[in-house]
Amino acid sequence: MKRLIFAAGSCLLWAGLLMIQSCSSAPEKPSAYVVEIKDMKFVPEDITVKKGDTITFINRDMMAHDVTEETAKSWSSGKMEADVSWKLVVSEAATYYCSIHTVMKGKIELE
Amino acid sequence: MKKKTNFIPIILASLLGLSFPSFAQNSKLTDPEIASIAVTANQVDIDQAAVALKLSKNPDVIHFAETMANDHKAVIGQAVALVTKLKVTPKDNAVSKKLTADATKTIADLKKKSGKAFDKAYVDNEVAYHKAVIGVVEGTLIPATANSELKDLLQKVVPALKAHLEHAEMIQKSLTK
Ligand SMILES: [Cu+2]
Repeated sequence: MKRLIFAAGSCLLWAGLLMIQSCSSAPEKPSAYVVEIKDMKFVPEDITVKKGDTITFINRDMMAHDVTEETAKSWSSGKMEADVSWKLVVSEAATYYCSIHTVMKGKIELE
Repeated sequence: MKKKTNFIPIILASLLGLSFPSFAQNSKLTDPEIASIAVTANQVDIDQAAVALKLSKNPDVIHFAETMANDHKAVIGQAVALVTKLKVTPKDNAVSKKLTADATKTIADLKKKSGKAFDKAYVDNEVAYHKAVIGVVEGTLIPATANSELKDLLQKVVPALKAHLEHAEMIQKSLTK
């Protein structure tokens, strides 16, 4: 009998834990996005993410590019040769550009 | 009577920005000739960039020239890798020779200038040169290329040429202010 009560209790406990876990962690789980650099463009040029999400930039062109925050140069990938990728954890909205080819521009917006 | 397309006069005409009389030249460009034109056209821009890196003091012009040198080197690298793979030997022809001759003259003219006059002459030439090359690559080289990988490479280079043109035009505007 005692054992049965314990078993039932532990079931409830687990159910409770699962509920807490599903409620607290699901909305905060960061998402991963990819922006390709190809044909001298950021694809997509404009991306909307949540704070904490990750964007991986991949250079698909034969020439080197970089990804640089445009206004204050607050972050930059540095020079990325062909087929090199670089990850950014997004902390704020930004407009960025390629400082090598200054006509290439992109935008990160927050949801 | 079979009518053949005269490619070479068309290319020369676009490069020079002139309207050429139709020469009696019945030669269609071959892939080895197209490969040679592609490599030469890129080399010309690298050579002109080298002059700018020596003579300009304008940071925007220097940055642009560095980009031209690096990007056009990357294109030549891809072109050489491809023709090596395809076992195609680039073949000198009237167009590639004309490109080299014109570049020699342009560089001699540029070297006579300095300061703002040099910057303006260099950037004006880059705008005109990229326009001409885009016209030739899209209008003549791509349609004439038989090998699909060589055609793909030429197509892949066009967006870079267009970005370079836009970049050059942006500097051109800032220089006239
Ligand atoms: Cu770039």
